[in-house]
Amino acid sequence: MARKVLVAVVSLVFLGIAGLGQTPKLGGEMVIAFGTDPEALDPNRITSAPAGMVLTHIAETLILMDEQLKLQPLLATSWTVSEDGKTVVLNLRKGVKFHDGTPFDAAAVKANLDRFRTATFAFLLYPRVQTVDAVDEYTVRLNLDMPFAPLLSHLSHNFVAMLSPKQLAALPAGQFVMDPVGTGPFKFDKWVRGEYVRVVKNADYWGDKPYLDSVVFRIVPSDATRLVLLETGEVHAIMRVPPMDAPRVAKVRGVEVVNLPGVRTIYIGFNVTKYPFTDVRVRQAFNYAVDKEAIVKEILGGAGGASNAPIMPLIFGYTPQEPYKYDPEKARLLLKDAGIPKGYKVTFHHPTGRYVMDAAICEAIQAYLRDVGIELELVTMEWAAYLAFMNKPVAESTHLMYMLGWGTVTLDADYGLFSLLHSSQWVPVGSARSYYKNDTVDALLEAARTIADPGARKDLYARAMSLIWKDAPWLFLHYEGQINAQRTMAKGLVHHPREYILAHKAWIDR
Amino acid sequence: MIQYAVRRLLLAIPTLFGVTLLVFGMVRMLPGDPALTLAGAQATQEMVERLRQEMGLDEPVHIQYIRFVGDLVRGNLGKSLRTNHPVAAEVAQRFLPTLELSLASLLLAMAFGIAAGVVSAAKPYSVFDYTSMVAALVGLSAPVFWLGLMLMLLFSVRLGWFPAAGRGTLAHLILPSVTLAASSIALIARFTRSTMLEVLRHEYIATARAKGVREIWVVLRHALRNALIPIVTIIGLRFGALLSGAVLTETVFNWPGIGRLMVDSILARDYPVVQGAVIVVAGAFVFINLGVDLLYGIANPRIRYE
Amino acid sequence: MRELVTRLGKHRLAIVGLVIILLCLVAVACAPYLAPRDPLRFSLRDKLKPPSPTYLLGTDELGRDLLSRIIFGTRVSLMMAVVSVGIGLVVGTPIGAISGFYGGTLDILTQRTVDVVMAFPGILLAIMVVAVLGPGLWNAMLAVGISFVPTYVRVVRGAVLELREREFVEAARAVGTSNLAIIRRHILPNCLAPLIVLSTLQMASAILWAAGLGFLGLGAQPPTPEWGTMLGRSQVYIRVAPHVAIFPGAAIALAVLGFNLLGDGLRDALDPRLRGRL
Repeated sequence: MARKVLVAVVSLVFLGIAGLGQTPKLGGEMVIAFGTDPEALDPNRITSAPAGMVLTHIAETLILMDEQLKLQPLLATSWTVSEDGKTVVLNLRKGVKFHDGTPFDAAAVKANLDRFRTATFAFLLYPRVQTVDAVDEYTVRLNLDMPFAPLLSHLSHNFVAMLSPKQLAALPAGQFVMDPVGTGPFKFDKWVRGEYVRVVKNADYWGDKPYLDSVVFRIVPSDATRLVLLETGEVHAIMRVPPMDAPRVAKVRGVEVVNLPGVRTIYIGFNVTKYPFTDVRVRQAFNYAVDKEAIVKEILGGAGGASNAPIMPLIFGYTPQEPYKYDPEKARLLLKDAGIPKGYKVTFHHPTGRYVMDAAICEAIQAYLRDVGIELELVTMEWAAYLAFMNKPVAESTHLMYMLGWGTVTLDADYGLFSLLHSSQWVPVGSARSYYKNDTVDALLEAARTIADPGARKDLYARAMSLIWKDAPWLFLHYEGQINAQRTMAKGLVHHPREYILAHKAWIDR
Repeated sequence: MIQYAVRRLLLAIPTLFGVTLLVFGMVRMLPGDPALTLAGAQATQEMVERLRQEMGLDEPVHIQYIRFVGDLVRGNLGKSLRTNHPVAAEVAQRFLPTLELSLASLLLAMAFGIAAGVVSAAKPYSVFDYTSMVAALVGLSAPVFWLGLMLMLLFSVRLGWFPAAGRGTLAHLILPSVTLAASSIALIARFTRSTMLEVLRHEYIATARAKGVREIWVVLRHALRNALIPIVTIIGLRFGALLSGAVLTETVFNWPGIGRLMVDSILARDYPVVQGAVIVVAGAFVFINLGVDLLYGIANPRIRYE
Repeated sequence: MRELVTRLGKHRLAIVGLVIILLCLVAVACAPYLAPRDPLRFSLRDKLKPPSPTYLLGTDELGRDLLSRIIFGTRVSLMMAVVSVGIGLVVGTPIGAISGFYGGTLDILTQRTVDVVMAFPGILLAIMVVAVLGPGLWNAMLAVGISFVPTYVRVVRGAVLELREREFVEAARAVGTSNLAIIRRHILPNCLAPLIVLSTLQMASAILWAAGLGFLGLGAQPPTPEWGTMLGRSQVYIRVAPHVAIFPGAAIALAVLGFNLLGDGLRDALDPRLRGRL
């Protein structure tokens, strides 16, 4: 499995090189199609990958996470973390201007980070970051109340993008930015709700100027329709190719399929406070009963991979565990041991149209479990209702078994484990919907937050994950792969594991 | 007649008021809430609480309703909870494409429906009559979304004649409007045929024929003219159905219309947008019906308004 | 009655419709015997197979036999149609009858309420009702049924308004028959013709609406084979396996066609004046 991911990463590099071989041509408009309209273009308000993708062309972050998932300088040229981990100093890039001419400096960063305290995803910084100081014109200091190791990767998240302080100051209270003014290679041009967002070249960009005159992000909700648009040449690149179509699309002339790992883990959670999932044997039996490899291969078209840890391989802190190999016989034995009669009924709530092939996967799980004598009653819920239903405190919870995904967008195990499996994070406080509690796991996850040394952190996560794995609060399913596709004439596009297609350095080969 | 129009307009007020109550109530009965939905499955309680406060969802429901109706009377539809955009702008932007689609479908339906109906009536029980009536029935029976998918599969994927989806040129309009028009073409064709057959039985038609008027003129000038009134009524009634059918057609063809906006906002629990869109659509429906009734009166002076 | 049958018999298309409906009913009654395979048995390796002698209509995304699923789907679709039309009929008829018979404030109130519901975009009302109640077969039926109520109220009220002034009603009144008895014995039996025609045609709409809800993912719950849900799922595979979209859609169209044809025939046979109104 690790090898598969490696192949994907290597092919990413390859795409980049293929673009470098030729001389880029200037001009033109590139069209990228994706599924959902951004909810906003204000870093303070956005919650989804599509919004992040559009924003990252316009507004830049202090630190960049490149497609190899390495931290690189962007608006900050260098940074240092103090010995005790409680101070982070960032040195800022000089000579950068926002699209409205406002200079980028320490005051601008402070204005943005202070405003970020009220953001939807404020947890990316807070509550650990207590104050922000502008030390001098190009130096910023973040003061933390306790060490928070993942902070730097959090700062690389596209939701923490810098906007012009002039724009922020002029913004009436209660309003959000709709036409972001950033420092990026493209300037905001137009947003027609439900149709497209258009950005145009920033001729005064501080770095390498973009080749394209403009980029259009077209909103096309239907997967099938998006694909047709690519095949007919109406768009240059699309996200989320239906897995079954990928082999066919790969053969279409002038089109190439891009396979890359995603950062989303899909799992079936058990409510461990409710019978029969109070019994670890039942939870393990369910894990043995389902052929995850077959699901990935047959339903997901081989994109992504079967989980062998609660987080996926690209996340910092990942250590593979011994997989629950598909073994219906073992599952039957475990269930018999646990005293579960044949034909036992369990309700299973799941969303539809949220994750790749979600409903089909749930039906497959239903069929696998029927094989070992468990009758799953599927309840498909529409997303908003599902969220409300799943967000109940443990005493009011009625769910037994549920499907959810988790995108570890910070690419650090802390975000991938803490909110889901630490006992302080039971919903509605955090996102722990299995109400799992293991004191050792709690202690390990807490410790890994505050230690700075990467080697030691990785070790703590390895120990926590091995306990979680054996306790099996989830049916560990798979991590999603991304299947994107593009016209071969679209050069230099970067397909990013954070579910972005980036056109910063793209050009059209006419 | 003006009196009648005024009376009908006044009657529209309680109807639309009822619509506000119904949509407000329904929307709030939906399980889930906008803050939680926007924040998503990875949100913390803190984030959700903050959003909920920003969205003004902490207020008691009846206060929210009074505010909503008060704003509505002053022509203010409020702001989207999700995007903070004014609802009026959002609805206006999405209403136009739907209107465009519905009108195009209506034109298609009238052109093909009346033509097929007239030819069928002129030569009843002929091969054309049977084929067109069976075709009409199939058109009436096929699910809109299925028909859309099939047309897309054939004409844009296999043949490449039309763009598959989206809005822009006239070519973009063809497949969705044909899809949406199918059931109306069928209805209008069948109705035109039966009305024409009835009219053609009348004495004055026989008189015209006896006078040696050419058959084509008999059918077109004498019969069709008299058949037109009931046909127009049916067409007017179809317009409301078209607005409703647009929901599914827009989904299939990625048409950025108000049908999709309504479904999307219901799913996102964006209360003000659902409310605004439904009221605008309901208003359009009420006024179109009124227009049809008045038109009916102008076309047929024998009708007396009660 | 005999006259009706003869008249209907002359209506060739109505006979075709009747035959289609009878075929559907056979499928409903004998699904387990007709279906070549278990509609729930899956085999991931055989997914999305095109039609072949083994799988006459091919397989779906989990490798289940499409033909068997469509045959079993007849049960679901017809039941949905019958129940939702039943709801519309049972709720709408008395409201329409009482509103039309008594008139006055009650009538005005009913009419305004019907106006409100009718001004509400139809499918949207169903979507919201399903969202409130939660998805599922019964809730979908309820949603569609509720959306049908206003049509029944309108039609029955219209018929009652006409009947109210007729001699036999006057006569019944004169001999002191109570209002409810008049409605039951004289009015409703005379509304039968439009109700039969309307219900047949509404069966067609109900199948379409139910399929629409299924298409949007709000209909029957898996693994229940339901045509609309099957069709909705198939959208993703439409390019690689068009048969998964074509056949369930064709099944829907055929069943709807059957009810439309029969409804037309019944209308012409029972009461040609209804043409254009229903």
